[in-house]
Amino acid sequence: MKQAGSKNIFSFKYRLKRLKRDSNKWAIFTLLILFLIVLPIVSIGVKLFSGPGETWSHIVDNLLLDYLGNSLFLIFACGAIVLLFGVSTAWLVARYEFPLRKQMEWLLILPLAIPGYIVAYAYAGIFDYGGTLQLILEAVGLEFVRFDIMNKSGLAFVLGISLFPYVYVSSRAFFLNQANSLMEASEMLGVGPVKTFFKLMLPMARPAIVAGLILVLMEVLNDYGAAKYFGVNTFTTGIFRSWFSLEEPETAVYLSALLIVIVFTLILLEKFQRRKLRFNSNRDNNMRIYRKKVSPKNQLIIFLAVLLPVVLGFLLPVAQLIYWATLTYENVFNLSFLTISVQSFGIALLTAFVSVIIAVILIFFSKWSRLGFVKNIAKLGVLGYAIPGAVVAIGIMIPTIFIDRWLIDVMDYLFNVDLGLILTGTLVALIYAYVVRFLAVAYNPIESTALKVSNAIPDSSNMLGVGNLRTFFKIEFPLIRTGIASAFILVFIDVLKELPLTLILKPFHVNTLAVKAYEYASDEMVMEAAIPSLFIIVTVMLPVIFLNRLLIK
Amino acid sequence: MKKLIFLIALVAFSACKNDTNKNGSSSESEENVVNVYTHRHYAADQLLFKQFEETTRIKVNVINASADELIQKMTIEGAQSPADVLITVDAGRLTRAKDQNLLQPIESDVLNRIIAPHLKDSENYWFGLTKRARIIAYSKERVDSTDLSTYEDLASDKWKGKILIRSSENIYNQSLLASLIVHNGEKEATKWTEAMVKNMARSPKGNDRDQVKAVVGGEGDIAVVNTYYIGNMLNSTNPEEVKAAEAVGIFFPNQEGRGAHINVSGAGVARYAPNKENAIKFIEFLISKEAQEVFANSNYEYPVNPIVKPAPLLQQWGEFKEDSLTLSKLGEFNKKAVLTFDEAGWK
Repeated sequence: MKQAGSKNIFSFKYRLKRLKRDSNKWAIFTLLILFLIVLPIVSIGVKLFSGPGETWSHIVDNLLLDYLGNSLFLIFACGAIVLLFGVSTAWLVARYEFPLRKQMEWLLILPLAIPGYIVAYAYAGIFDYGGTLQLILEAVGLEFVRFDIMNKSGLAFVLGISLFPYVYVSSRAFFLNQANSLMEASEMLGVGPVKTFFKLMLPMARPAIVAGLILVLMEVLNDYGAAKYFGVNTFTTGIFRSWFSLEEPETAVYLSALLIVIVFTLILLEKFQRRKLRFNSNRDNNMRIYRKKVSPKNQLIIFLAVLLPVVLGFLLPVAQLIYWATLTYENVFNLSFLTISVQSFGIALLTAFVSVIIAVILIFFSKWSRLGFVKNIAKLGVLGYAIPGAVVAIGIMIPTIFIDRWLIDVMDYLFNVDLGLILTGTLVALIYAYVVRFLAVAYNPIESTALKVSNAIPDSSNMLGVGNLRTFFKIEFPLIRTGIASAFILVFIDVLKELPLTLILKPFHVNTLAVKAYEYASDEMVMEAAIPSLFIIVTVMLPVIFLNRLLIK
Repeated sequence: MKKLIFLIALVAFSACKNDTNKNGSSSESEENVVNVYTHRHYAADQLLFKQFEETTRIKVNVINASADELIQKMTIEGAQSPADVLITVDAGRLTRAKDQNLLQPIESDVLNRIIAPHLKDSENYWFGLTKRARIIAYSKERVDSTDLSTYEDLASDKWKGKILIRSSENIYNQSLLASLIVHNGEKEATKWTEAMVKNMARSPKGNDRDQVKAVVGGEGDIAVVNTYYIGNMLNSTNPEEVKAAEAVGIFFPNQEGRGAHINVSGAGVARYAPNKENAIKFIEFLISKEAQEVFANSNYEYPVNPIVKPAPLLQQWGEFKEDSLTLSKLGEFNKKAVLTFDEAGWK
């Protein structure tokens, strides 16, 4: 290695030479995919150079402080809620035996299945004047005292309770994979379960917990529907306001950029903190899980602790939706819901599949590439999750239209035929957009499990002359499959309920359940939106239960 | 595991294949279709689209989204846009679409004859389909309707802490303020906005129906809402909503003067419409007597076709004087209105 530049290792020539030497196929492929993922974001980001629009100072003077205050409040309040519910349930489910544990395992994922704004509507409906709570209280002869949930704290609660499964899924994957030896060692040394949890497991699970937490925070910053309904102005409100109401995309881009800066500051802060405590994997990846049996009384306590978030995040809103559905099914329900369900299901499945493959490629190809900077920038692939769906959609349209126009010109020149738009307005563009938007959802859980796989095994495999790909399929894939399953489920759910991007990019004949729900909800027909929402939930349940059975025993 | 992946891929592809086949966008322009970008998501509309398909054999393809997003989409699509018709729920957005060169003027004797001049674009770029008035819903218990008079009066001290109105994010509020800017000038409108913020019973939240419910719940005394929401609430399948709507009275403001603020949902033909003839036929159909009756009776909007009567419920509220302001002004002053809201701290 030294002979190449023993004299001046910093010279440009040397660097170029090294670049050439280290550019293996993995690096090139990684860069190509990254380019495609980042392209739509850059298409919008270019606007940054034209400076903010003229209303920028108006926004800074009148609104920015409010946006910043509310967004930061939501980050911390939601963060606390999802950590509390997500980590505790993951730990209890992974480590203790209690009645209905298997059912709880997948029920805990389901709060994610209800679109955030629908949960907001459901809760507002429960606490409303003439709402479910009032009806119940009056039926039993109690006086109704209205509890106003439509404010900042209520929003934090609603978002937290519907998003905690991100943390649950990623930390559970970690706790399940954790070898028992650590636990046993800790217990043999006479450390109690509480101390073991806080002193040993929690710090070790940190990368996994944070991976889930970051997804939650990005989703929180991105929420539009629930915040709008509850009257809380956040950055995303501002992005929509300046882009659409004030017709200044440049200003919206500035706000988006600020949002991304916030998200990345959080990520970097966490990385910086974590650097001091680096835990590499435990070598024996023993998949056998040993669950503690505790006294019936404690089992009941554990059961109730796990049940609480399920009730708040899933059963309660679903009960409200079912109640609404009984009031409206005559007007709303028809057989087309079944075909729409199948369409939504197919699109979500395909997107989840593609996203997982791309996430794996980014993580592993960049690892196999010898170029240092490729490893560092692979993380850029998750940027799309920090940007509101509507903005991603516009970002996708800019390059796809550009390519389409170019194709039209070429075909017109060569063959004199009018090709029309072949990318824009098709499923290809839609799925491309989903992947850009949700790559982070696939990337984070896979990365956090991949981090734990020690390099020793694949390294020895490589040394024995087995190629990277084969090693991956034979050794690494089985070790990270819980991460992959989590990633798959999360992307699938996210696509099923995705709205703003779908509205802008969906082809004419494609309809999704989320779009159907929106058609009603956007026009204050909240009750009518209950049936399509319930269809989303049922559609999500199938793969969640199936994958949970198959992959996380 | 491999089997599983294969299975997933197979299901996914077969589920999507159906759509892509139907979806050859280039072949669509040769078929007899009309592509509609719409912000209206009512069940009545779907019914009408189906009727149109049956009578004309022209297939209606629909993209639903908010007007702002549809306008963005059309802008980026440019000359290749498949859109034939743009439908919005307020005149301001139609004016914006016209200003951004997304619509084209059309010649239609039918439309010109039927639609009153202030309900359409002066150069025939867009046409109103249905009217809605933004009115005051007041508590029958606590408010004497003789105390109510104008939108301007809502800013007076007697309503301190009593007004319920939704966020300034909402287009209907933006249009209301735009109309006040046009009628009273910027200065007065700014004062009005600031006074309104002080008079609010609570920080703006929820939708129009929620404002009505809050009146009934006692959080405030009067709510500013659109007529058809009250109509829909009175006919809701939820008995609680019916109860709430029955407890409020309806007041049309500014009857002594210029009339109550109205807005239209309307339609225009896209500039690059690949099926222009069908687009015109489509809009003409929506103005026809039979279609207007569906609009009037299923969504409680006021028809723009004068031979069609409003729904019986709306007739009960009586006839009212409507503000005859040229609606394209609402678009012109929309941005000004949004800025004024922000400066006054109207969330």
